[in-house]
Amino acid sequence: MKHTLMKANTKKHTSGELAEALVYPVTLTPAQKKEAAGQLAAARKKAQEKMNDKDKLALQLLQLKFQVQDYIESKKYDIEKHFGYFLKQYIEILELKRKAFAEDISIDETMLSQLINMHRTPPDYISIRLELHSNNIIPADYWFKLIEKQKEHKIKTDQTLRDKEKKFVHKTAIGL
Amino acid sequence: MATRRQRPVIVNIAEDEDFKVLSEKRYSFNWKSFKKTTTVYKLRIEKENDILGVMGIVDIPAEKRVEIKLLATSIENIGSNKVYDRVAGCLIVYACRIAITNYGMDACISLVPKTQLIKHYMQKYHMLNAGRQLFLEGHALFLLMREYIE
Repeated sequence: MKHTLMKANTKKHTSGELAEALVYPVTLTPAQKKEAAGQLAAARKKAQEKMNDKDKLALQLLQLKFQVQDYIESKKYDIEKHFGYFLKQYIEILELKRKAFAEDISIDETMLSQLINMHRTPPDYISIRLELHSNNIIPADYWFKLIEKQKEHKIKTDQTLRDKEKKFVHKTAIGL
Repeated sequence: MATRRQRPVIVNIAEDEDFKVLSEKRYSFNWKSFKKTTTVYKLRIEKENDILGVMGIVDIPAEKRVEIKLLATSIENIGSNKVYDRVAGCLIVYACRIAITNYGMDACISLVPKTQLIKHYMQKYHMLNAGRQLFLEGHALFLLMREYIE
């Protein structure tokens, strides 16, 4: 049946057009599978050996970008995954000392520590500097949304603030 | 002719309801039969429901690899008169994204190609030849990502 489909498609379309639209399911025999696995392992080893530091770094930064993206797009809040957590990951990927990284983005080391440990709310310009530092791989709005997600969680769940503010609201809309 | 206008797309896991519309006539394969053996993803334009492409993948953590078992664009997106270009490319890049998110610099995607299509996959998607399989890893993987993502 699969071969019939391939033949039918080949009549209508060129192989280039098919490659731009389809990956046909292919079933290999156990022997073919074993051969394919060996070939792939050898070819991957060669590709890994050829990989330079720039490629490695770019892929690690993309990994961080996607992890941030997945987190900001998910509805779940994770107390561990704040701005500082991802900033720390970023610096570790670059294998930079905190002092050197702080100099790279023109802030002092104390401020960097405060940002990593979330002892200070990151100002907007930090998100922009991080975007520029990553060669636009991780956009400023990703960093910004991490801060927003934390703020959103706080405003939704902060009972102490609610108790404190209650005395300032003298009337409610529905009056219940 | 394919449109030149870029449209933002969304890729999600196909749900049970989707398999009702994933007919062999429009999407080339019997997708229901791959529901148990692969994770099936669908591609659609943001805020629209029509599925433009489908892909079945298998994640193999032990090898830090994602294998594309099958992929199909909807029938009107095949050939010289297709409505949208790069539908299959976007799905392949999504498989790359899954691999990179899970495995970082060790990420790899692979597929077993039909012989006639090998050179086209290599030209179109920078795929590397590993005999029976084609794959993307390292520099080639990053090249394709750079072409497709902002």
